[in-house]
Amino acid sequence: MNVTVSVFAIGIALMAPILWAALGEVVVEQSGVINIGIEGVMLIGAFCSAIGYRYLHGLTWGLLLGIGGGIVCGLVLALLYVRLGTDQIVTGIVFNLLALGFTSTLYTKYLGGGVVNTYHAVKIPILGDIKYLGEILFQQNALVYASFLAAPVVFYLVHKTWYGLYARAASEHPRAAESAGLNVWHLRYPAVIIGCTLAAVGGATLVLSTSGGFVNGLTEGRGFIALAVVVLARWNPFGVIAGCVLFGVAQALQFQAQNIGLLSHVPSDFVLMFPYAVTIVAVMVARGSRYPAAIGIPYRPSSATAV
Amino acid sequence: MSNFPLRVKEVAVRHESTIRSTAGTIVSVALTLGVIAAILAGLGANPWSAGKGLVSGALGNRFNIGQTVMIASLLILTGLAAAIPFSARLWNIGAEGQMYVGAIAAAGLGLELPASTPRWLLCSILVVASLAGGAVWALVPGVLKATINANEVIVSLMMTFIALELADYAITAIWPQPAAPQTRYLPPHAIFPNIWTGTLVTAGAPLALAGVIVAWLVMRRSGLGFQIRAIGLNPRAARMNGMPVGRVTVLAFVIGGAFAGLAGGINVLGINGALVSGFSGNFGYLGIAVALLARLDPLWILPSAVLFAILRVGSNGLQVQTGLSPDVGEIIVATFVILLLVFRVIRLRYAEAQSA
Repeated sequence: MNVTVSVFAIGIALMAPILWAALGEVVVEQSGVINIGIEGVMLIGAFCSAIGYRYLHGLTWGLLLGIGGGIVCGLVLALLYVRLGTDQIVTGIVFNLLALGFTSTLYTKYLGGGVVNTYHAVKIPILGDIKYLGEILFQQNALVYASFLAAPVVFYLVHKTWYGLYARAASEHPRAAESAGLNVWHLRYPAVIIGCTLAAVGGATLVLSTSGGFVNGLTEGRGFIALAVVVLARWNPFGVIAGCVLFGVAQALQFQAQNIGLLSHVPSDFVLMFPYAVTIVAVMVARGSRYPAAIGIPYRPSSATAV
Repeated sequence: MSNFPLRVKEVAVRHESTIRSTAGTIVSVALTLGVIAAILAGLGANPWSAGKGLVSGALGNRFNIGQTVMIASLLILTGLAAAIPFSARLWNIGAEGQMYVGAIAAAGLGLELPASTPRWLLCSILVVASLAGGAVWALVPGVLKATINANEVIVSLMMTFIALELADYAITAIWPQPAAPQTRYLPPHAIFPNIWTGTLVTAGAPLALAGVIVAWLVMRRSGLGFQIRAIGLNPRAARMNGMPVGRVTVLAFVIGGAFAGLAGGINVLGINGALVSGFSGNFGYLGIAVALLARLDPLWILPSAVLFAILRVGSNGLQVQTGLSPDVGEIIVATFVILLLVFRVIRLRYAEAQSA
């Protein structure tokens, strides 16, 4: 495998956690909620999957426990963001702190290191033999393939179902949506829960496929990178894939930097800055993107203004 | 006079929230403590002995009080770094990175400036350098927000990760101390003097207090502070009143960043004597909690920071008493803030100004 192919192959593997999280955030934001707590949800998903792997002995249990952690996070955050209407940005920021505290405390108590025997790569017949492209795309593991397949599913959910249509109405003009007989809260609850579940799967992917173990603060800002990708891709799940490839490759460079002529002279600390710098550039490029009009604003049903 | 309606609205909202909160605060805090006790019990610790361990760890003797004072000083400054931009509804969550850059600036200059520089001059230069370092780092999200409306949450956080790598580079490549994850020690005359015998309290503590006063003057007694608060209350009305929203945005970030940078400077000059890898126990993020509990009021930042410093320093005592990891402090702080948000004890004033 030559260096370029290797960078892209690693990049595709590294993008999967961000892709899961970003797809989840598309669902959340298209209902009018912004989930800054996505980083914490990923962390909890990663932690739960590591626990599941350790104590229930298996990748499948790890994944299932990760999903369970995501659903619990989703329930808590839906309660806060939607029902109780706390400030979404502040709540999200503090939730990240809470997640870091919980996972770090329980890590010392129940995990303390431990390596995960990650999902092994599965070569897809025929496609996997294509020169270059096959090595990059079709020799990955199941969680990576699944993250790609999740994109059209999310697209279908958001753009082709009645639920997606109504939820988007609630994200643009909740008052009008309510006048049309929709219950804004009932549209936002499932969006937050689905979004948190997908973010937690992203965290689980990080443990079970990418890094092969849990450490404190494992997610290292990937949730926030996902937030940036979503804006860059203008809430289009297929655009999200493209954005995630960019970040995956930016992260992959650190593993091959010593083999790339120009990069081999750059100190590794600066190569590690790459994905974060790319994110800032992406935010600048995405300046034309317009958030849904009602995003981040807790909704009070008109019948319950006294609450 | 064109600002008159805004002022009335603000006063009205504040008044109402004061009445409501005094009635509910006691109940809410009691409930919050109950929930935290339940969490501690769930983690396998006796809440009562945990509470005792916490208090004695933070305030048990003179030395521990000194530790609490110094951590409170850092949290005051990172709290201000959040509170000032937050008042304009600008979410600067990058205080952690701004603090690191302030620390890098102070450590780097302290090691590179000639040793013959007089102490007062050297210390002043290093303090200014740390202020400037934090301000420059906050300039990026501020300018991007003001010019192209880039999401400041994302940009300020990404700048934090870049700052962490920069600090790592400074520690491992530029000024390494052999066999230790830190830079070389600064010369003794670059370090803040100790001001309380028997403790590690240095001149950094009064510097943080001065920060509170400066922030109070800026926010309550200057035109800029009024503009910051007006923008936070209702950006559209502020713009229509002819306020330079872009300039105020950048200034709010720069001032906040400077405070965070000073926190980094104090860590280097007043606590560690060098730039130490991972010196910050999430102080930049805890500052957000400090600012929220203080309802973004510069004067309330002081008691709020002391409370969180007690929780933080005390959680080391917690480990001795109950065997729980000190990270429990983070859980307590975050649970505390989320529940106070739920109980509307923390209620950002603009909540009513927004409607879909």
